[in-house]
This record gives sequence, structure tokens and C-alpha cells, in this order.
Amino acid sequence: MYILKNALRTINRSKGRNILIGIIVLVIAVSSCIALSIRQAAATAKESGKESLEITAQISIDRQAMINSANSGENSKSVREMFQQSEDLSLDEMLIYSDSEYVKDFYYTLSASLNGSDDLEAVSTQTSDETEDNSSDSTQTMPGGDMPQDMKGGGMSRGMGTQGDFTLTGYSSKSAMTDFLAGTSYISDGVIFDEASTDILECIISDELAALNEIKIGDTISLLNPNNEDETFELTVVGTYTNTESAVTGQSMMGFNNSSDPANQIYTNYNVLKSISDSSAENAETETDEVTGMTSTSAIRSQVSGTYSFKDIESYEGFQEDAYTLGLSEDYTIVSSDVSSYKQSLEPLEDLSKYATYFIIVVLLIGGIILVVFNIFNIRERKYEIGVLTAIGMKKKKVAVQFVTELFAVTFIAIVIGTSVGAVVSVPVTNKLLEGQISSTEQQDEEKMSNFSSNSDMPSGTMQRNSEMNVISGGLGQQVDNYISEISSATNITVILQLIGIGVVLTLISSLAAVVFVMRYEPLKILSNRA
Amino acid sequence: MSILALENLGYTYDKAKTNVLKNITYEFEKGKIYSIVGKSGAGKTTLLSLLSGLAHPTEGSIIFNGQDIAKIDKYKYRSNYVGVIFQSFNLLPHLTARENVELSIDISSKKIENKKKYALEMLEKVELTEDKSNRRILKLSGGEQQRVAIARALSYNPDIILADEPTGNLDGETQDQIMSIFRKLAEEEDKCIILVTHSPQVANASDVVYEINVDKKSAKR
Repeated sequence: MYILKNALRTINRSKGRNILIGIIVLVIAVSSCIALSIRQAAATAKESGKESLEITAQISIDRQAMINSANSGENSKSVREMFQQSEDLSLDEMLIYSDSEYVKDFYYTLSASLNGSDDLEAVSTQTSDETEDNSSDSTQTMPGGDMPQDMKGGGMSRGMGTQGDFTLTGYSSKSAMTDFLAGTSYISDGVIFDEASTDILECIISDELAALNEIKIGDTISLLNPNNEDETFELTVVGTYTNTESAVTGQSMMGFNNSSDPANQIYTNYNVLKSISDSSAENAETETDEVTGMTSTSAIRSQVSGTYSFKDIESYEGFQEDAYTLGLSEDYTIVSSDVSSYKQSLEPLEDLSKYATYFIIVVLLIGGIILVVFNIFNIRERKYEIGVLTAIGMKKKKVAVQFVTELFAVTFIAIVIGTSVGAVVSVPVTNKLLEGQISSTEQQDEEKMSNFSSNSDMPSGTMQRNSEMNVISGGLGQQVDNYISEISSATNITVILQLIGIGVVLTLISSLAAVVFVMRYEPLKILSNRA
Repeated sequence: MSILALENLGYTYDKAKTNVLKNITYEFEKGKIYSIVGKSGAGKTTLLSLLSGLAHPTEGSIIFNGQDIAKIDKYKYRSNYVGVIFQSFNLLPHLTARENVELSIDISSKKIENKKKYALEMLEKVELTEDKSNRRILKLSGGEQQRVAIARALSYNPDIILADEPTGNLDGETQDQIMSIFRKLAEEEDKCIILVTHSPQVANASDVVYEINVDKKSAKR
């Protein structure tokens, strides 16, 4: 007990020396608190992001791997040949992988491009001189088929297809209607189509399309097969929807493709579109080109797209292995824009966290060395005190304990002050550093984007439909705003405990020097040297 | 019966390999003042270091209460059984006179109810006022520091008081006062007072004088 009393008295009587030690520890504590808070914020953001993350993934052809394979000479086929021979997964194949224990839910959509009848005009924002050429019964021939707006992992139509003005999408369930789930689309009038109906051909259309053609709930619209305009399909409009992003999305394609405009999306259930597609296939005429040998059909082109949903990242990662175990070919890849987006949102904070770790190591190393050296000088200065205390019968061990107690007390006070200061400044400092980090990351992203644009000479289908590339470029282009750019609190009990741990380790290391010196000194030698 | 006895005590410094002390056989009893005298470099302070357990004899032994001090815990011996008054006092300057005394009591682990009051009594015994007792060491004169050192040595009530040149830096009047304190301690409290000195006055005021390295004992009283 008297050791503690004596230690505190000595601290009080030797203010200058202890304030100096306190300042060194304070600087270490504040720096460490900020750095640890950054690390903690990154870890918390990662965890909370993970918890709230809803992960969906698609299986698509790994065209990047094909390009690499062709470029490296591993495969004798050209990129074009490889692309032409690759086929998207059929629904049956997709269903095989949906049996994986990692998959929480599986839903799919079927999309087809159709034209409208004479009394159904597509919504168009094209310039007036183009509008005339793009009437509802006009057709556009597109290489590689269409690309519906919400088809993230869909396949590419074979051969030359004819592009219609409308995209008819059939959903397997409401879970597949991501726009509605995300809130970017909602039913503005009427009701949604019957999810399970196979006989009643119901659909919902955009309110813009309804307004343009004066369509009311209960009216029937006629859609034509763009490859065979004699083939018509009639659907009853049971509701209209509003797409809040319709003015923005699809604009890039609207200049030459009405079907890409969200206003021209017609939604129904999967079974309805499947029955339309099947009946069209039954009635279709097939022709083989004598010159090229390519077969073309007048049936409606349709594409199926499956989406797997997972409860967490671990399940998604498990599925990435399990799908191949279940027989998925190496030519396919599993991609998730959610995971990419999640990882990307954390990128600046994680980079900052990485720098913070290096910073802590440097601070602790330099701070530790300074403290050790300072303590050695301190002990040498207090040699006389050690000599007197041991000469009057205080055991060396107790003298060492007193010195360590003094250091602990000073360190503890400095850590308490340092943590308080650090907790207050860590949030603004972290946010400021994060701001710098984000702008640096954005700059890098822009450079990457410019690299992508330099590859524009690649086949349009390749770039457009390569899912992985889309995710990357989409991520860079669209999700820049999603970076975690601000933290609200960073210093928590974990950080405080870590700081206390740092304090204990620093004190032990620096007081080790004190202990060694105390144990080495002989009182008689000290006192006689002084005398 | 002697409380402390030196039996053929010898001491050699490691490096010099020269005998500083050789074949010393002295006896010390309670209630008496002993003076150890000798020329400069004769080994008086070395002998005091050996008696206080700060150094270890290279020959012979020191017997305390019938037990060789080589077999006793030196720290316990210094903190409980002998009170050492060093030539340069060896007080802690960052503490007050009272705190120096209190610390000594703490180290000895003696159970004393009101340490502060007891320390003040000890200092009063060596004629130091409360005001001076609460001053830091460097605010006291040499004579006052000497008194604090004596009070510290007495604080845990040891049987033996060892003092190295206790009057070395003091004027004649203060010397007399200090010697009268030692006399009181020997006669009234039955302490064994061992003084290392080259002062003839101090030697004359002692009961027994040992002249070092001359193998001579002179009893004064």
C-alpha cells in the first residue's frame, strides 16, 4: 500500500518529468485512438453492411475467360467462334443449381421483344425527323438480339434477330420484380397481374404508355411478333405502373431502341409469356441461309434469366464452389453486383483502415523506443533514490514495483485523456481522411473507366453482355456515390480496451528497462559514488 | 551479553585485492556508545557498511543477537534491526522530513496507528519543530538534516544505531546537541550506539573506543 502512496507522492513531486512522459503517451494515445477508431469504423461498416446485404447472383457465360483463353493461345478457336458456340443456361439447368443448399431463393424472368399493333404506339423521345421512321410497326434489326433493362445475367440471342418496340417480361414470382421491391416502380392504377395464371393473359403497362395510347384498365392491347407480323397476341391491361427512374434509365439506348425505354416495358407473369413464346415457336417457319448456313426462325426471340438469392456472403461464396460441384461448366461464372457493390462501398474505408494499421505500428514502434530511452535516462537520474530506498531496507523488487506503478499511473491518466481527445477528434479526422481517400479512389476509378472505354473496339455484344465486365464498369460508373463517406461514431469499448492494452504493453516494455536497472544497482556503490 | 560481535572480520575489495580490514574482533553491547576511530583510509566507513549489511565480509563473520547476519535477510536487517545514519544523510529530497521518517516506518512494516503523529514525535525527540518537520529536506540546514537522519534511524525502534561521522559537518554547539541525543538513546532507551568518527571530541564522549587496524580497545567509562 505504501508503495502506491509513495508512487503517487513521487508523481506529484516530480511534475515536470511526469508531464513529459504523459505528453509522449498522450500523443501515442490520441494517434492510436484515431487509428483504432478508423479500423473499428471499417470493421463495423463491414459487419453492418454484411447484415443488411441482400445478395442476388446470376450465372452467365464467362466471356472474359474466353477472351483471355483466346489471347493466351490456350484455345485454338477465335474469340468470335467461342462466343458463337457458347450458350446461355436453360431454365432447367438453372433449376439444377437452385437446389444447392446455399441458395435461399431462386426466381427467373422471361423476356421477349415485340412490336405493337397499329393502335399501340411506343413511347419515344427521339427527334422528330426520326420519329416517323420509328412507328409502332417499324422494326429494327439488331445484331445479337435485345438486352432487356432488368436482364442482368440473361443470354444472347443466336443469329440475327428483329428488334421490337416493346419488351415483354414475364416474372416467375414477385421476388423477381426487383424494381418494385426496390421501390423504383410501383402500381399507380389497377392491380398487378395474377402471378400464377396461365390462361388469362394479363399484363401491366407503364402509365406513360397508357397515357400515350389512352389505354384504360381492362382494355386489351395487341402485340405483334416482329419476325412475323401476322402473329398477334392479345393481353388485358389489369394495371399501370410508374417507374420513377424512367426519365433517367435507358436514355443511352433510347436514341435507337424504343424497347430499352422503361416506359415501353410490359410486365406479365412467366407462364403467360412462356405460353406466347411456345405457341409462336410451334407456328414458326424455319429457313436456312444457303450461303452462310445459318438457320433463322420467325418465332419470337425470348431470353430467360435466373436470379439466385442468398442469405449472406458466406452462402454466396459457398454457392460459387457448390455450383461447379453440381456440374456447372468452367465456361460460366457466377456474378453478383450486390457483392461487388458492397465490397466497393467499403473500399475507401478499408484502404484507410489499412493505412491506419501501418500508422499504429509506426507510432507504437517510435513511441515505444522514445519511452524506453526516456525511462532509462529517468532511472539513471533516480539512481540516488534507488540507493537510499534499498539502503534503508526497501527490497529492490518493491522499488521496481514503485517505479512501474508510477509509470502505469502516468500512462493511465494520459490514456484516459488521450482516449477522450481521440474519441472527439476521431470522427471528424476520419471523415476528413475518408473524403481524401474517396476522391483518390474516384480518381483511380475514372482512370479505370477510361481504360474500359479504350476497349470500345471490342465486339459490342462482348462488352455489352459480359456480365463480369458489366458489373465492374457498372459498379464504377453507377456506384461511386455508394461509398461509405461518413462515419458517425468510431470509438467504442473495443477501441478503449485496445488502447488500455497498448498502454499496458508500452508501460511494461518501457518499465522493463527500469526494472533491469533497479535490479542491477547496488546501494553501497550508488551511495559511495555519490559521497 | 553483546548484541553485535565481529569475529575475525576481514574485507578485501575485489579489484585491489588488498585487505582493507583484517582480523577484527569487536563486541558491542546495548546501552553504550562506541566510537570507531582510525586514520583516513583505515576502513572505518567500510566497517560501518559491513555492520549495516550493505557490504559482505570476505573473512570472518558478524554476529547479531547470536546469529550470523550472512544468514539473515539483509533488507529486513537494515529496515528493522539497525538504524543507519549516513555521513551524507541520504534523505530523499522530494519528501519532507516527516515523510522521510514515515517512509522508513512503512518499509520496516512496523504497526503504528498514527504514523504521522508518531513521525512528528520522533522528530520532536531530536529537537525538530513541527514546522521544520513539514519542510522538504533541501529547506533544512545540515544540522537539521542530521537530526532527520537520526529520527529516521530511530523511527522503527532498532536496537543498534550506526552513524558515520555524525558530527562531521556540524558546529561545536550542534555537535554537543547531537551527542547528547545519542547519550540519551544509550542510557534511557538502552540502544547500542556505534559511531564512526575521526573527531577526538566524539571519541572522548563515547563509552568505548575501537581504533581500527591497531588492535586496541580503550574503555572510557
